[in-house]
This record gives sequence, structure tokens and C-alpha cells, in this order.
Amino acid sequence: MPRPIPAVAALAVIALILAALPERDALGRPLPLSMLLGGAFGLALQRGRFCFWCLTRDWFEAGDPRGLVALLVALGVGLLGTFAVIGAWVPDPSGERLPPDAHVGPVSWALALGAFAFGLGMAVSGSCISAHLYRLGEGSGGSIVALAGALGGFALGFMSWNALYLAAIQPAPVIWLPAHLGYGGALALQLGLLAAAAAWLLRRGWPQAEPAATPWRAVFGRRWPAAVTGLAIGLIATVAYLRVGPLGVTAELGSIARTGAQAFGILPTELRGLDGFAGCATVVKETVLSRNGVFVIGLVLASLAAALASGDWTPSLPGARDVPRLLLGGVLLGWGAMVSLGCTVGVILSGIMAGAGSGWVFAAFCLAGAWIGWQARRRLA
Amino acid sequence: MNARTTLRLTVGALALCCAAGAQASDYLVTTDWLEENLGAEDLRIVEVSVNPGVFERGHIPGAVNFAWHADLVDPVKRDIASREDFEALLQQSGIDDDTTVVLYGDTNNWFAAWGAWVFDVYGVDVKLLDGGRKLWEAEGRPLSTQPLQPAAGTIALAEPDEALRARLPDVLAAAEGDGTVLVDIRSNDEFTGKILAPDGVKELAVRAGHVPGAVNVPWGQAVAEDGTFKPAEELKALYAAAGVDGSQPIITYCRIGERSSHTWFALTKILGYEVANYDGSWTEYGNSVGVPIENPSGTVWTGQ
Repeated sequence: MPRPIPAVAALAVIALILAALPERDALGRPLPLSMLLGGAFGLALQRGRFCFWCLTRDWFEAGDPRGLVALLVALGVGLLGTFAVIGAWVPDPSGERLPPDAHVGPVSWALALGAFAFGLGMAVSGSCISAHLYRLGEGSGGSIVALAGALGGFALGFMSWNALYLAAIQPAPVIWLPAHLGYGGALALQLGLLAAAAAWLLRRGWPQAEPAATPWRAVFGRRWPAAVTGLAIGLIATVAYLRVGPLGVTAELGSIARTGAQAFGILPTELRGLDGFAGCATVVKETVLSRNGVFVIGLVLASLAAALASGDWTPSLPGARDVPRLLLGGVLLGWGAMVSLGCTVGVILSGIMAGAGSGWVFAAFCLAGAWIGWQARRRLA
Repeated sequence: MNARTTLRLTVGALALCCAAGAQASDYLVTTDWLEENLGAEDLRIVEVSVNPGVFERGHIPGAVNFAWHADLVDPVKRDIASREDFEALLQQSGIDDDTTVVLYGDTNNWFAAWGAWVFDVYGVDVKLLDGGRKLWEAEGRPLSTQPLQPAAGTIALAEPDEALRARLPDVLAAAEGDGTVLVDIRSNDEFTGKILAPDGVKELAVRAGHVPGAVNVPWGQAVAEDGTFKPAEELKALYAAAGVDGSQPIITYCRIGERSSHTWFALTKILGYEVANYDGSWTEYGNSVGVPIENPSGTVWTGQ
């Protein structure tokens, strides 16, 4: 049942926080804009039901390609937008320099392992991290449990980081496609891959179109069409990269986990090389309000407003027998996101949009993990 | 030339200097002056910021970007950028011999000042934007994301002027009392040896304290609240109070040599003293075997 008054109240809370935020963070990035972009992202996730696990499961279970096509559209639009920005910032991609802050990470077996664990965690916990965050806005108590597990997973990730860094990550190549193929070549290759994937997904046609709806119902009643969600996310990613930084949802979580774990003294005194990587790498918290923190707050609150307006607000608590599964799934998500320097948003979306080899590797292994997890859950059920 | 002509010339020169804008010295430009002169043909603006992505998301219109850890130093051996590399960089940035170069950057111009020192070592006079990026932003002046791809310049660099650069033996000689004044611009806690390095810093020296005989004037004392340098008279008094009056040659140092470039700039460009910057700084000196150290607080490095 739609609840317009609480929805307006949620919007008012967003406005109040926006008005109270400092204009800029320590690096001079605009905090209110970061929160607004988080809000836009949360709205698109909630209204498009853009949850990496749901998109994948719809395909596994029912052969419904719409969710994955939305993802491909988001990647294509974001790729074009991000390349337009990077092309201006790094006129000559063949040099040694990477575009600033872009999520282009080392490609190693640790990345593959992290991505696989993340995919498994999605299947086990029922969502990826960004989707657990927007589900908080729908009142999902299970997501709180999964996110708590993810914090623990991050702490485990930090504990295993130094060994993985020295064994795999430090010597691994950082593959930025435009450095090898030029902008045109990298764009052609990646758009070609996305188009091929879309053609394959759509080989059996598109599910029956729904009848027309009123504008209100189209925006707040029904799930957004795949192309609309994909376009919105691609545009949000482009603006975010231009003005604030690449999309990502785990830096703040990781930062909280790192600060907490450090307080308990269970972390190695130094996490080698970690602070030198671009990605959702995590720093020890020094300020209460970081750009990723306000992005996540905006995401959750906008999802709440959208869920209230659309009638998707259904507060629920997980059953006692679901708690261990949610915790375990969360731990896998957190560990995977930590050692891969990001999750489905930070590595797949922001990585592929920036032309990173690491984005594609993460996507492949994450999908494999999700498939194995899905198979396992079917057998156990 | 008679006295009257001299006087007229002096007055004329003064008037010219003031008409050219409110410049604090020949080596500093104000944000007002820079905004008025944006787009001038013989002007090249260079941003040297330490935080990644700062330049790209908005810089002073027409500026080019130098990465301090790649463009201004040798990335393999510990040294400033080689003459060949630096010359190529400047030419690529469209700098000719008669171009006016203005540097600015984030974090209080520290790395821009390091840049100014490197330019000076290679015989190129540059100016700093007083207050740096922080003041430009605080005053709400325009920023651009448009990259500049200038036509190649023709500048030719001189051999490095070693007099502007202090080396370990020069610092040792000063410690042994050759008459050179050492100015340590680190925090007082580092100077007195209470701490080995500021929090979060990975490049350490395994000894605490300072070079014997050095005086401590933390770099921040040279700037006003808005990040601009204090007026020359105040700077003169500040350093004189620490016994640095320009009557003797000076060496500035810090931990890695970049914040000390800021003080080097104040002492040499604003006050006109004879100053060399010690780019090895405490991370070289405090790790050197057998050199004398003063460590008033007695902190012992325990290897932890």
C-alpha cells in the first residue's frame, strides 16, 4: 500500500541532511552532491529492482533476460559517458598513467577468488551489498543481518590481505584496456561484448510487454523497464565520476570494519599497499562524514522514500533459521569485496565503465560463484 | 645619470610595479591578478596537487597538470627530475624561455613550492599563486575541466644550479659549525624527537631529533589564516626571532623536502636570503650512519 505522507517525510529528512552537510570533504569533493547521487542511485535500484542477484536469478530460474539487459544497458551508457570524461582527462591513454581514481585494479587470482566468493555470497544471502542497502529502505531486517556479516567479512579480508597482496596482488598486472587498444578500440571491444551478451540473452525474445500505465503508476507502481533503469544508472555513474568519484558502495562499510577491527587490535599494523590502490579501498575513519558515507545514506533514504511511495515498504524480520545463512552470505560478500577492492558496483559497474580488465574478470567469476551458489541452494532446499 | 633622473626612474619603476597589479613580490601573484590575466598569451599556469583527481575535476582555466611524484622527481632513484625529462615536460606544456609560469596547488602549495624549487634549480624563474588552490576555491573563482593541449614550447634548460640544493655533506658541515644556518620546518614534536614522524607516515627515519644547531620554525608560521604568505616584514621578524636574518647562508629541511620548499620560497624569494633546500631532509639525515644528532627528548627507536 502506498504511503505518501511517510514518503514525503523521508524526503524531508534527506533535505535536512543535505542542508546540514559541509560543502566539501577533505579532498574538496562536494558532499551534498555525493549524497544526491546516492539518492538517485537508490531510487533507480529500488524502482528498477536492480539487485545483481535478482537479475541473475531471474535468468537462471525463469530465463527472464530483462534484469541482465538492464545491467548491460547501464554498462553501455556508463561506458560511453565515462570514456567521454576520461578522454578529456587523459588525452593520451598509451602512457603509463591511469585515469585519476578510476577503479582499474590488479588482475590476479586473488581478484578471481574474491569475485567468486562474492558471487557465492550473493546467492547465499539473497543479494549483493548494494541491494542489501536498498532493501534496508524497504524494511528488510534480513539485510541488517547480512550487512553485519559483511562487516565481519571485511575484517577477515583485512586479516588475509597482506598474504594475498604479497603472493598475488602486488606482482599482478593492472590492465587498462585503452592503454593497449586506444579509446576507440577499447570502446569497440567492450560495446561489442555487451551487445553480444545482449543478443544472446534476447535470442528467445522479450517477455510480453505490459499494457500502458498512468505516469504515476509507471514511475511508482511498476518496476521500471530495463532500459530506463540501465540508462539512469549509466548517467548517474557518469556524473558521479565527473564530479565526485566512481560509483561504489563498500568503501564506507570497509572503512567502518577497518576502524572497528583496529580498535579490537585484530588487524596487522600495516595493510601493505592497500592505501595506494584506486577502488573501494578503505581508509581508517578520520571523519564522520565521508563522500562514500553520505552516498550510502542517500541511497538508503531515497530507497525508503521510493518504497514508501510505491507500497514496497514491508518491514520484516528474518526467521531464526535464516540468520546463519544471512550471516554466512554476508561474510562471503564482505571478504570478497575487500580482497577484490570493491563489489558488483565498484568493480563491475565502475571498473568496466572505465575500461578496466579487472571489471570483466570480476564479472565472470562473480557470475560463476552465483551459479554454483544457486545450484547448491536448489539441491539443499 | 644625475640624482633627479635616478629619482624619476625609481618613482616610475614603483608606479609600474604597482600598476601591474597587487603582487606581493616578484615571485608571488595574487588570485586577483591571476584571474585578470587568465588567457594572457605569455602566461602558463601549472597545477601541482598531491591528491589525485583534484586537477581533473576542476582547475584554474588554462592550467596544465604536473604530477609531483612522476614529473618533478625521478621515479626510480631518489633525485629531482632529470634535465632531459623536465625540459621535455616543459616544452610539451608549451613553455618558452620568456613564458611567465605561475604555479599553484592543493595542501597549501607545498608541492607547488617544491615545483618552484625544481624550476629554480634548472634556472627558470616562476611565480607562486599566493594562497594556492585553497584560496582560489574559497573566493569562489572559476574552475574549468577543459584540458589544455598547448603547442610545443621551445624552452631550453640550464644545467642544475647545485647552489640551491643542499646535500648531506653540506648539512654535516653546517652541523659542525661552518656558519650556515639550518632551519628545520617540521613540527616541534618531530624537531624535539618526541615522535619519529607524523601519524600515518610510512617513510621513517630510524632516529628521532634534529640536525645539531638547527632552529625550528614550523612552516605554517609563515602563512596567514587564508594560506597566503605573511607580509615580508612579519616574515623577517619571525625568522629573525629564531636567529635567521640572512647574514649567513641558510639550509632548509623537513622530512622529505617538500614542505621545506615552502619555507625555502619564503626565505629566498620573499626575503631575498641565500637559501639551499635539503631535499634528502630527515629521511636521509636521520637514517645516515654516524652523523651527529640532537635528540632532546631522548626517544629511542625500538624497531617496533
